[in-house]
Amino acid sequence: MTTAALVHVVVSGLATGSIYALMAISLVIIYNATRTLNFAQGEILMVSTFVGWTAMQVLRAPLVVVLIVAVAAAAGLGWALERLVIRHAISATHFDVLIITLGLSLMLRSAAGLVWTHDEFPFPSLFGNRPLAIGPVRLAPVSLGIIGASLALMLALYALFRWTRMGRAMRAVAQNQRAARLMGISVERVYSGSWVLAAVVGAVAGVLIAPVVFLSSKMGLVAINGFTAAVLGGFGSMPGAVVGGMLLGVLENLAPLYLPSSIKHSVPFLVMITILLVRPSGLLGRVARRKV
Amino acid sequence: MTLRAALLLLLTLVSTAFPASGQQPGVTDKEILIGSSNSFSGPLAFTGEQITKFGVDLYFKVINDAGGIHGRTIRTIYYDDGYRPQDAVANTKKLVEQDRIFAVIIPQGSPPVVATLDYLEENKVPLLFPYQSSPVTRSKRYVFQGMTLSDRSSKMMIDYLAGPRKLKKFAALYQDDEYGKSFLTAFEKDLGRFGLKLVAAESVKRGVTDVSAQIAKLQAAKPQVTFLVLVPGPAAQALRERQKIGWTGTLMVSTGPLTDERYLALAGDAAEGVEGLSLWPDPLLSDLAGVRLYREHMQKHFPKNEPNRYSIAGYFAGMLFAEGAKRAGRNLTRDSLVAALESIKGYESGILPPLTIGADHETQKQGFWVRVEKGRFKPLTDWLKSE
Repeated sequence: MTTAALVHVVVSGLATGSIYALMAISLVIIYNATRTLNFAQGEILMVSTFVGWTAMQVLRAPLVVVLIVAVAAAAGLGWALERLVIRHAISATHFDVLIITLGLSLMLRSAAGLVWTHDEFPFPSLFGNRPLAIGPVRLAPVSLGIIGASLALMLALYALFRWTRMGRAMRAVAQNQRAARLMGISVERVYSGSWVLAAVVGAVAGVLIAPVVFLSSKMGLVAINGFTAAVLGGFGSMPGAVVGGMLLGVLENLAPLYLPSSIKHSVPFLVMITILLVRPSGLLGRVARRKV
Repeated sequence: MTLRAALLLLLTLVSTAFPASGQQPGVTDKEILIGSSNSFSGPLAFTGEQITKFGVDLYFKVINDAGGIHGRTIRTIYYDDGYRPQDAVANTKKLVEQDRIFAVIIPQGSPPVVATLDYLEENKVPLLFPYQSSPVTRSKRYVFQGMTLSDRSSKMMIDYLAGPRKLKKFAALYQDDEYGKSFLTAFEKDLGRFGLKLVAAESVKRGVTDVSAQIAKLQAAKPQVTFLVLVPGPAAQALRERQKIGWTGTLMVSTGPLTDERYLALAGDAAEGVEGLSLWPDPLLSDLAGVRLYREHMQKHFPKNEPNRYSIAGYFAGMLFAEGAKRAGRNLTRDSLVAALESIKGYESGILPPLTIGADHETQKQGFWVRVEKGRFKPLTDWLKSE
């Protein structure tokens, strides 16, 4: 294998990994605020991407508008799901909520099948598919674009958590819900906010990945890799989600380069099990100790 | 539950599972009921929808409008298996035991079809024209194979490429299941006849997000020809991946099941120059009498559905079933249908060359060579032979 090929495969893995990282981040946002896992995350991504695509078909809108429509649809969907369904189960156990989100994911996927069929559709990309030659190395603008856009979004999220009232409220709720409430933070608003934020991150990931894996009712399955990435990095940790996602994407691509292709899908899990054996809280996670 | 109630329930279950003998399942005075488990979700959802609802059902609409077959109309029933073998088995048992269909028509995909094969053969339920390519369906009493089998496809592809085209280095990118493996085995065997072998073979799992590693490995082996034994999504991804790295030194060749404009639409301009073995005449442009009729029927019943190689395959399956049922006469049984289909010789469909069904029970054995020009497959040869 030449170095040029290796570089291309790693960059391609980083692009896929960026998407995994965004999915992991959106799972972690909701987990930190509400302590539940959102299994419908992938389907929110899929539905909002489809809505954006429909806007393009109907209005002949440019891709930037598609992105805005998808983000708006995601925000609306995330808000509605939280407000109309999850909020009513606020006193239920985390396990109950998890099953509810699992149900939501199945419902959303079937509904998408009814509206848009289960077919695959080509999706236009913001970035080109023809390679740029840098010396012997060839890099696809689409891979670089996905990585760049994802990193930009991650920086924006970092700024949001660091410097805005909402972000601080979210971090406070993640650390200690009761204390946050006593300090006058509306925990309900944080719940809503986290669902909306997670859905929006998902929509951006959807618009970025749809040109690569094509638009279809099953593209939400990418959330499973996001979950793996989040566990790899240490569930609950944002930097962990990023590192976990990138690592997973690169591993998935490097494994079949040196091992038979059929092993490709098991290597990330072998690595995950190994990491969890050595560091039970994931790469960057902290062990949660509860005082009894 | 009391013992009596339990016994009663058991009795009801047994009596519905084993109805009185002599009555032919799925055939009444007025109706013939047939169906299949198919893909209406998952990677082959588009294909599944086209071969059944826009293919088989299209032909039966025409037949039913003209009064049916010997006074019986044909009704179809389908369930979704999403290309999962375990769901295909459950659906097929439901069709046979609860819906009591007469025969299975055009189920799709090697893994699902192979999973139901023994069950259908043991229960003597005709399995008609499965849309899959693994040769395990050959020469079975109650099975009539539809699509050209992988060993025949492989023979035609390699005879053509290693023969007149004089190409020598072959590689394959295949789906990691029965579909991919049956082609891989056949490629190895046919290349052996020319003293060649595959220089590289890389597998792809269903639902893959990135095929860059496989393409990089294939490129490193420098094949002149790379076979794509995939379903539309991953195949289009592979073509786009090749474009991404600017790999132009290989001829991408798609297998029969893949050769339709559909996957070209996904791949966009990355598909230009791809070649393949087409199992069906161009559904949009061919002026064969049968294909023109198919277009007229499609225009009449489903004007919004663009003709494609999948719906024409289903349409042809409906046509063959109708021919068999007509020949079997008013006294239609599963065995009389089998005998009637076996009697077909030199049958003119106007779509494929004249069809004779022999002891192997295969209804399609040919294909012709095509190349993508401006988003459509253009024919390069006449029908190739596999015998």
